[in-house]
Amino acid sequence: MSAASADIAKAPLVINGVVIDDTFAEAFPMKATRIVITAHNLTWARHAAVATTGFATSVIACGCEAAIERELDASETPDGRPGISVMLFSMSGKELAKQLERRVGQCVLTCPTTAVFAGIADGADVIDRIALGKNLRFFGDGWQISKMIGGQRYWRIPVMDGEFVAQETVCVTKAVGGGNLLLLARDTDSALAVAEAAVLAMKRVPDVIMPFPGGVVRSGSKVGSKYPSLGASTNDAFCPSLIGLAAKTELTPETRCVMEIVIDGLTDTAVGAAMRAGIDAGTHIGAVGGLLRISAGNYGGKLGPYHFHLHKLLGQGAQGGQS
Amino acid sequence: MSTTITLTLKQAPALRVDLRGVTPAALAALSVGAVERLSVTHGTQILPLAELFGVVRSDSAGDVDELRLIGDLAHFDRVGWQMAGGRVFVDGSVGDYVGGGMSAGELQVAGSAGSLAACEMAGGLLTVTGDVGDFAASTLPGSMDGMRGGTFIVKGNAGARFGDRMRRGNALVFGNAGDFLASRMVAGTIALGGEAGPHAGYGMRRGSVVFAASNAAGDIAQTFVPAVADAPVFWQLLSRDLARHGGPFAGLPARSIRRYLGDVAAGGKGELIVAG
Repeated sequence: MSAASADIAKAPLVINGVVIDDTFAEAFPMKATRIVITAHNLTWARHAAVATTGFATSVIACGCEAAIERELDASETPDGRPGISVMLFSMSGKELAKQLERRVGQCVLTCPTTAVFAGIADGADVIDRIALGKNLRFFGDGWQISKMIGGQRYWRIPVMDGEFVAQETVCVTKAVGGGNLLLLARDTDSALAVAEAAVLAMKRVPDVIMPFPGGVVRSGSKVGSKYPSLGASTNDAFCPSLIGLAAKTELTPETRCVMEIVIDGLTDTAVGAAMRAGIDAGTHIGAVGGLLRISAGNYGGKLGPYHFHLHKLLGQGAQGGQS
Repeated sequence: MSTTITLTLKQAPALRVDLRGVTPAALAALSVGAVERLSVTHGTQILPLAELFGVVRSDSAGDVDELRLIGDLAHFDRVGWQMAGGRVFVDGSVGDYVGGGMSAGELQVAGSAGSLAACEMAGGLLTVTGDVGDFAASTLPGSMDGMRGGTFIVKGNAGARFGDRMRRGNALVFGNAGDFLASRMVAGTIALGGEAGPHAGYGMRRGSVVFAASNAAGDIAQTFVPAVADAPVFWQLLSRDLARHGGPFAGLPARSIRRYLGDVAAGGKGELIVAG
């Protein structure tokens, strides 16, 4: 889900020539899980991870939001092979379970040499466990083997390159979805450069993903539409092509390109830290690089309980707020 | 607050004594006098515990109740029988059925154990620093499933029929094992540091038997077939878990393996894994 309207700046904060709007990003509760995909080498782990996280940009139509969190070296994975950490977010645990099973079944089970493991340990934040290999095992047509190792159950499913090993279940945790930044730039080149730098910085923050292509969304949306059947439509107040046409715009004429970065995280702290990292990356490039303003999308505080005030993020470290 | 009850053997009994019911949880709720009056069977007699043991009770700030048994208890059967928590430490050897049916907690025997150790064990940790007799990790006579959970560690040698009908859990023998290791095994994992007697895996349906010594498996039965495909992921998961126990298992993750699948006379979903 992407942003709606942003508050009009009240007291502009300027860093390196970039105006930081006095507004907030509004985020909402989600359910999330993390899986670790390993393979014979990183290439095949990445193939599986990319396929698993395909068509998973927004819960509006994809069922879940998913992306690669980071690459793992052999010392970080349960089986000592290179791997990829993938996180999936959905609006309900039931939908998350459905998406996970379909995606792992079609994209990991099928991918040469892969294995899949739970990426979230049991803990206080865990609210449920959902199937990982528990149902996929039936692909084994009776030849599958269960194995309890270290208190965890794994399934060994015979496949044509040997066997596919999958941990039986994975934990589900409460999470935060919809954190966002709006990057208002002079032109397309500078907007892309800033967005790419911001995403790169945010990827270094643990426990977050940016689910849109390359981490960036250009079709920011507002709630509602003139067409009753649509629940969301283009965020006209941030469309440069509608300056002078739309009844209300948030842009000045020198802003000719806006990019949005949407962040899902396991905690509001993680989302706040990622937003802070993105702002820092953007302001580091500064107005010289074509970045004019940084704003954020919200729905007037009505959509979700998590409010990430940009000025607070800059002034008080990376702390999200729940209101 | 936790309680430690120490039972010190006065003299070895003439007949076998059944210690079922003498568990940390049961004793923690009793006064010293009540513990001394606790009834146990000695042959066909019923004796108060004080006839056999000196009883000392101490309380501490911990959260695990403990029972300490001091002396050679080779005539005492069912030590830790069906224990569901706490810790039992035996400073000496024990008789038959030690840890039988235990579901949780920790039981350590600083000595050897008789037959049927860990029979139908379902959870917890049982460690025997010496040897165990026949039918350890197996089933009670007439029952279908043997050991069905938990971890059973034998630092010495094991007798025959180790893991007979074992269904779940991990059983490790640092030394040698007798004939018919893992016979009729249903599932679970057995790891052997030393050598096995004849007929390992006889009639096993599922489960894994790991031989840490490369020549330990002896002659593989004709009802096992060599595995053509590798299982590197599974092996890393299993070997890393076994390696934390040290001893002959410490270097397993770095070693290559040969696998034999069987017993094909019983479905063939088990495996004998020989580390190279």
